[in-house]
Amino acid sequence: MAIVKTENTPARAAPLTERSIIGWMSKNLFSSVFNSILTIVTLYVIYITVKDLWVWGIGDAVWIAETRRECFTISIDGACWAGVIAWFDNIFYGRYPREELWRINLGAILLFIWMAPLWLPRVKAKVFIAVTTVFLYPFLAGYLFAGGDKGIFMQVMITAAIVCLVANTLHSIIGVSNGTSLPGLVLRLLGKNNAPEKSQRIILFSILLVCFIVVYLWQMSWSAQGVSWTKWGGLFLTFVIAGVGIASALPGGIVLALGRRSKLPVIRVLSTAFIELFRSVPLITVLFMATTMFPLFMPEGFILNKLTQVIIAVCLFNACYMAETVRAGLQAIPRGQFEGAHTIGLGYWGTMGLVVMPQALKHMIPNIVGTFIGLLKDTTLVSIIGLFDILGMLRSVSRDTPWIGLHKEPLIFGAILFFLICFAMSKYSRHLEVKLSTGHKK
Amino acid sequence: MALGDSRSKTDQVKPKDQFDLLHDERVRSVVYQLLTAAVVGWVGWYLFTTTAHNLEMRGMDSGFGFLGFEAGFDPAFRLVAYEVGVGTYGDIFLIGILNTLYISFLSIIAMTLVGFSVGVLRLSNNWLVAKVALAYVEIFRNTPLLIQVIFWYTGIFSLLPQIRNSLDLSAGAEVVLLNNRGLYLPWPVPGDLLWMTGLALGIAIILAVLFRRWAHKRQDITGQLIPTLIPGAALIVFLPGIVYWMTGSPLGWEIPELEGFNFAGGATLPPAFLALFVALTIYHSAHLAESVRAGILSVGPGQSDAAMAIGLRKNRLMSLVIIPQAMPAIVPPMISLWMNVVKNSSLAIAIGYPDLVAVFMQTSLNQAGHAIEIVGMTMAFYMFVSLTISWLLNIYNKRVQLVER
Amino acid sequence: MTDTDKQEKQNAGEQLASAISSEVMIDLKQVNKWYGSFHVLKDIDLIVHKGERIVVCGPSGSGKSTLIRCINHLEEHQTGSIVVDGITLDKNLKNIDHIRTEVGMVFQNFNLFPHLSILENLTLGPIWVRKMPKADAHAIAMEYLERVKIPEQADKFPGQLSGGQQQRVAIARSLCMDPKIMLFDEPTSALDPEMIKEVLDVMVELADTGMTMIVVTHEMGFAETIADRVIFMDQGDIVEENEPNGFFNHPEHERTRLFLSQIL
Repeated sequence: MAIVKTENTPARAAPLTERSIIGWMSKNLFSSVFNSILTIVTLYVIYITVKDLWVWGIGDAVWIAETRRECFTISIDGACWAGVIAWFDNIFYGRYPREELWRINLGAILLFIWMAPLWLPRVKAKVFIAVTTVFLYPFLAGYLFAGGDKGIFMQVMITAAIVCLVANTLHSIIGVSNGTSLPGLVLRLLGKNNAPEKSQRIILFSILLVCFIVVYLWQMSWSAQGVSWTKWGGLFLTFVIAGVGIASALPGGIVLALGRRSKLPVIRVLSTAFIELFRSVPLITVLFMATTMFPLFMPEGFILNKLTQVIIAVCLFNACYMAETVRAGLQAIPRGQFEGAHTIGLGYWGTMGLVVMPQALKHMIPNIVGTFIGLLKDTTLVSIIGLFDILGMLRSVSRDTPWIGLHKEPLIFGAILFFLICFAMSKYSRHLEVKLSTGHKK
Repeated sequence: MALGDSRSKTDQVKPKDQFDLLHDERVRSVVYQLLTAAVVGWVGWYLFTTTAHNLEMRGMDSGFGFLGFEAGFDPAFRLVAYEVGVGTYGDIFLIGILNTLYISFLSIIAMTLVGFSVGVLRLSNNWLVAKVALAYVEIFRNTPLLIQVIFWYTGIFSLLPQIRNSLDLSAGAEVVLLNNRGLYLPWPVPGDLLWMTGLALGIAIILAVLFRRWAHKRQDITGQLIPTLIPGAALIVFLPGIVYWMTGSPLGWEIPELEGFNFAGGATLPPAFLALFVALTIYHSAHLAESVRAGILSVGPGQSDAAMAIGLRKNRLMSLVIIPQAMPAIVPPMISLWMNVVKNSSLAIAIGYPDLVAVFMQTSLNQAGHAIEIVGMTMAFYMFVSLTISWLLNIYNKRVQLVER
Repeated sequence: MTDTDKQEKQNAGEQLASAISSEVMIDLKQVNKWYGSFHVLKDIDLIVHKGERIVVCGPSGSGKSTLIRCINHLEEHQTGSIVVDGITLDKNLKNIDHIRTEVGMVFQNFNLFPHLSILENLTLGPIWVRKMPKADAHAIAMEYLERVKIPEQADKFPGQLSGGQQQRVAIARSLCMDPKIMLFDEPTSALDPEMIKEVLDVMVELADTGMTMIVVTHEMGFAETIADRVIFMDQGDIVEENEPNGFFNHPEHERTRLFLSQIL
């Protein structure tokens, strides 16, 4: 006999063990006697730690004081954050002239404006924006930070950077608001959007040239006061070194990685040796090499300042690490992609530039962010050879007469700062990784 | 219009069988390589000549003769005998290497143990424990190691009590003492018959291994499972123990005693050593924990399901199914982390632990000059260690591949 | 299949055969190739005339894929000579580049570029290799997309298409380069059964236009329909070569017979 169900079974609420807090706890915290003991012990340890940290760091902490001695008179067991607060400017900007701090802030804001379009969904030509960030922004920022005389070369680069920044920004605004591009809009405004490609190109190029000349003349009218690199310091210096490091590591890494995968033995062997040399030694030895050996490498009368030496060392070091990241990315591209590109007649550079690299780089972004986190953390090593980066500044607090002996608080402050930056970036890179691995296609 | 007939007739190209110098693959390959070699060679030659010129201008000599010169300073911590005024830069080089290897070795052992534990705790089914492990990993991975090193040194180990108020870590026995001068440990003094205990230990290990083999063979033949872990462990503990006791406990301990203002006797580990050890262990164990977790997770849930479906119990499931598959994913990153420990031990320089970089690349270089030789020797040492470690990794990878086939 | 059907096919074949010119498109002489010490291609001689359609079949590992991959130099042969459209494949990179623009290839796994839209996949070659203006390249791409019957997919990405659609895009991509020869390396083996037909239809249509084609496939029905010649390869040798009727109905070689009995 057939059994026929006449009604649908209505969905009922899950039993308490599946949905209430108590159910969740009995499952995840008290599932067995051993687990219950473990939970209670852990809770106790957390309680003790958090309570002590709270009392020291916040409950009994001193926020306002003139000297460390004064801190002690207010509270003997609490942290003396007053010292850190008094050193805030030093920790962030080093000994940069206080009335010129706006230049650093402006540099940071410009970088933000420059790169923000990369995260906006409707903007096209993101590769162009990314490339100009790497190749033009450093010149603009470099002059902003260092100031002084502009040579012809710097003037040209600064002009190019400004034109590019304005164009990028306009392009992004247009892209977000109505989904077209800057060249498209310009041509439409001129009524030339149906003209042949060649004349379109000529029009755009001449507009660009006019803009360039105008900006060039304008930038000649101002200059920034020179600030010696010895005054640079704090988090600002850390970001400058890490920023230049990552910006040059990417192109350098790509070149080295291609070299290492080359079919030509001489190029392959040299690239491999270079990469492995720098990857097998600690960064500090490379920094020592830079400060002790570079002066010997220079022709007579030519002196590199310490900051340049350090930046060169950091760039070399990171290019080699980046090379391995790029190589891993290239290895992940299936052979069929190379073959597909070959069959439509693309040569080595066409295949790499149009087919392989765009895919590989996209998949490498999480690892590149990871490398950047590592680089940012490693940059603290420059304090060992006497640059006053953020760690150098944090350590100087304890040598400042009013705050003599104040070690823990600045270091903890620095640790928290780094943690926030690095943790946010690593979360972001993991988010990207998940997004890419689910095969999301635009 | 049919498919494929829109071709213009202009791209009909005449046969080109003849040798084309510009476009020949072999010619290009040779030219590119020669060009690269020439550029590298020129840069090398340029650096070499400028350096030679600079050295001459500054009246500096080169060569490794300075290694025989008297160094004139005493590293704060060393494992071998050394006398100020007699010891040479060569001795300093050796002391530095030993100090680097010493702290690296101990940190590697500790970080491996801690890293595995934390990695397993990350996957605990106790939510609280898993979250605590997660916090540990994230906090220590995302702060610069150098800040951690300096924090442990200036914020913890230098602020410990004075010698008179030393912390007693041995619960009242006053044999393990910790103060702002370092950690004081008793040091073993071997007696005459200690070799017999060592011999007994060796024999016990061999017996345990043989027993295990026998048990496996027996299992193969009869299917009978014989517990090997507990009898083996008992053998290794008790056989040497009995021998030790019968030979009259031939091992004395030299205990640190307070003499005047300092402790004498026993072994001392300075605060810089302790700070570096703790920082290296914690920082790298946090990284290792992530690799361990990823390795275990890389063995898909289907494997556990399948193993449980054929009735394996949890401990056998781990030892027979999960761990053998997870290890190939864990070992390579673990070995490269070991390499990182060796490299990062060079941060010792920031807190004054006399590792190779601190005593040789800094102090010796400042005193004796010879930048190129000293930088070269130091880098060569790290490269040697790195090559050794990647050689080990290759051996492991080959073995794993053999197992997989 | 009735006799009249066969008769019709044969007639059709003869009509097509008349379209074959005497111009030699591909000329392989004594071609040998080794992977390490493994001899993949053994003294291969093969002449393909303009407009000829050749189907290559054989068991896996017989060297049939390697053979057609040698024709556009995805694999390098070690001895013997390969002349394609009058150009010898040698160490001259310019020749290789030129041949690759003349020879289109369709792969088992499509090998579309996942980071580019369908339209960009099609225009990549015309723009960067043929140096065509963008607008012209677009027009040609859309024309071919219509021929393979998926113009509406132009702005999608390869990952959003079905296997059959992807393979049709791959065919269109090759055609955009305006090739003289098309090579197909098992174009339907990675497809679900219901998608095979749509791809084969496109290929049959292409065959009707007089394109020179070499197709490695196991689709024997397709081979019977369009092939001028069927080549059977085994262990690096061309074992048997015949027009389809003779090949399928009276296989001469023992190995051919064995293979056909397994596959049909």
